Amino acid sequence: MSGNSNGMQTCPSKEELMKKINEHSFAVDDLLLYLDTHPDCEKGLQCYRENVKKRKEALKLYAKNYGPLTIDTADECASKSWEWVLQPWPWENKGGCR
Amino acid sequence: MWNYEKRLQYPVNIKTPNAKVAQYIMSQYGGPDGEINASLRYLSQRFTAANRVCMGVLNDIGTEASEMIPGTFPARKLFLTNIRAEDILCL
Repeated sequence: MSGNSNGMQTCPSKEELMKKINEHSFAVDDLLLYLDTHPDCEKGLQCYRENVKKRKEALKLYAKNYGPLTIDTADECASKSWEWVLQPWPWENKGGCR
Repeated sequence: MWNYEKRLQYPVNIKTPNAKVAQYIMSQYGGPDGEINASLRYLSQRFTAANRVCMGVLNDIGTEASEMIPGTFPARKLFLTNIRAEDILCL
């Protein structure tokens, strides 16, 4: 699944990629609250755009290589079955999404 | 509406079981100052908010508070994983 025969950059490890997703998601969550009360802040808007873009890319890459984390990326992995329900959940001790 | 993301807002990584902490985490979930209470309060107040900014903030912090609920459960579960009966009995 994680073959990179098309010359794209190698995929980061599961932990690295999850860390990246968590960081950008945290930034987006926080920027959302900030922008609610500062809707005209150009710097805030720019920061929001950048983080949303990076979050989306990371979620897509994660889904492709390690299984989906969001319903929007549930079909990214090259699998014929419904990976969403087969992949581990965050409360499981061993799993892909922790 | 609820749209689940298969990850926690903050990673929960617990190696040592601790029934007391699990009990404490449970209190953050329910009770007068728990996340269920907070989220439902914000999400109810937003309907009669004084202005649009207030309405938006209540909606978004209510959402944020309800996100804490799926976070407290795995934390509690992991604090209780491999726990011994005597650890629970002496609470």
